[in-house]
Amino acid sequence: MTLTHIKATGLVRRFGEIEAVAGIDLEVAAGEVFGFLGPNGAGKSTTVRMLTTLLRPTEGTAQVAGHDVVQDADDVRRSIGVALQDAAIDPLMTGRELLALQAVLHGIGRHRSAERSQQLLHTVGLTKAADRRVGTYSGGMRRRLDLALALVHEPIVLFLDEPTTGLDPNSRVALWEEVRKLNRDFGTTVFLTTQYLEEADQLAGRIAIIDDGKIVADGAPARLKAEVGEPSLRVALPPGADEAAAEAVLLPYGDRVADGKGYVTIRLAGGASKVGMVSRALDDAGIEIEGLELHVPTLDDVFQKATGRRLEGAEEAPAEMEEVG
Amino acid sequence: MNQLEQLGALARRAIVNTSRQPASVVPSILFPLIFMSMSAGALNKATELPGFPQVDGFMQFAISATIIQGILFGAIGAGTDMARDIEGGFFDRLIASPVSRASIVIGRLAGAATLGFVQGIVFLLIVMLLGVTVEGGVAAIAMIAVAAAIIAAGVGAVTVSMGLRTGSSEAVQGAFPLIFVFLFFSSAFFPRDLMSGWFKTVASVNPLSHLVEGLRTQVITGVDIGAWLTSIGIGASIFALGLVLALAALNGRLKASH
Repeated sequence: MTLTHIKATGLVRRFGEIEAVAGIDLEVAAGEVFGFLGPNGAGKSTTVRMLTTLLRPTEGTAQVAGHDVVQDADDVRRSIGVALQDAAIDPLMTGRELLALQAVLHGIGRHRSAERSQQLLHTVGLTKAADRRVGTYSGGMRRRLDLALALVHEPIVLFLDEPTTGLDPNSRVALWEEVRKLNRDFGTTVFLTTQYLEEADQLAGRIAIIDDGKIVADGAPARLKAEVGEPSLRVALPPGADEAAAEAVLLPYGDRVADGKGYVTIRLAGGASKVGMVSRALDDAGIEIEGLELHVPTLDDVFQKATGRRLEGAEEAPAEMEEVG
Repeated sequence: MNQLEQLGALARRAIVNTSRQPASVVPSILFPLIFMSMSAGALNKATELPGFPQVDGFMQFAISATIIQGILFGAIGAGTDMARDIEGGFFDRLIASPVSRASIVIGRLAGAATLGFVQGIVFLLIVMLLGVTVEGGVAAIAMIAVAAAIIAAGVGAVTVSMGLRTGSSEAVQGAFPLIFVFLFFSSAFFPRDLMSGWFKTVASVNPLSHLVEGLRTQVITGVDIGAWLTSIGIGASIFALGLVLALAALNGRLKASH
């Protein structure tokens, strides 16, 4: 039987008239990396704040690491590591001092704390910067320290709330690698919120998409994408080419999809593996083409299918360029 | 033991934070000293007035008030630091850990008390270097420093409660003049015996008058346990009131998120 580390049932949070989270049900198994994907203001952070005991649910229940988030809040706090949005770190203290403080707050003795801090500083690549004030760290370094702080007490469940927002691509990839390593080496269950499609795709074994406080899709990324439909293949023809002849060759491989003049696009039955066969068929029929373009469904397509719109800001480049320290 | 360790760690953080913000520590020592020097220049002759306590000079009379002034300056920092923790999200990090909620407040106040203790000694050493005699000697210095620590924790608790209520460092700093009004409507810088009318009435009911006078006695007369206990009692009362306000504000903030 699979052990469940996070379970939420009918979770609701209202702020006055506004319903930020509108009755969500969630289950995350032990050792899973779970991605919680949605646009800004969808209810991701509010959900995380409820699951990490920072906010009491208006309705519904939630258990984390087997403890109720309201009744056994202290037990939940002992079991989880939390890295909230914006890396809330005291800029006047050094990385090592903050790790020592975090260790004491979690009841870890001085000797073990020093050992664990050293090990974590090494893990997140901050050994050299350990005795520098955090105010001098780059955005990427702060995020990595935040991750280390969340891990001091070896939590069973790790909550990462938009851990790479504002980071440059190199820092994002480095942080993804840390998360993968944690999950792989220690079996830590990871609950990750993000508005980046690629991040959810890269890291999460399973995702839930939240929009307007409700979960609109839930499952493994590959399955969700497969549910959107087959990939589409767009064949660009040179000017004056016989479109009907091209269509006749392509139709055995899938239904035609409406597209602009000079293109024949089909929904590729059998998936992306058929591209080679299509290419050969066109060649055998002597049809000259200008190009082939394969579009495999993305999580954005999953989001669009569920909500009727694109995931706002999901493909925006991170704003801040940081040096990886 | 674990709770004590947590309290110690949070107090240490408060002290480290304060010591790494010279822009907030230096004015809390410099401005009261400048104010005292200016007052001493202008009011030294006043010490010759009939009814003025027997003192070497105005500085000896005013140093106790200067210490309290410095403490008020410094204690504002406890409240603004708490508000900054809320603004910057560090407060969330603290409450997401299994630390006792009261430790978050008491740790910060322990830091304020330490700063007050150090301020008391620094002020006395500076005026001694300027030629002022502390009649009560080393014992009086220690007694004043202990009282300063208690008062700093008390005023710190009041400002921490403001920080927790408002979550805004600017709002806490905005309350600074209000706190100072209490000091100026007291006998901090002039003896009550030479006051008259409504001002004397206000100064007589103002607990800060009795607090400063209790400390002043140690400097201008010598060790006086009774006077010191009066100061300690007033400081402890401010602390008790401030602590109740701060814990209520903490509770209110935690409930607001619930």
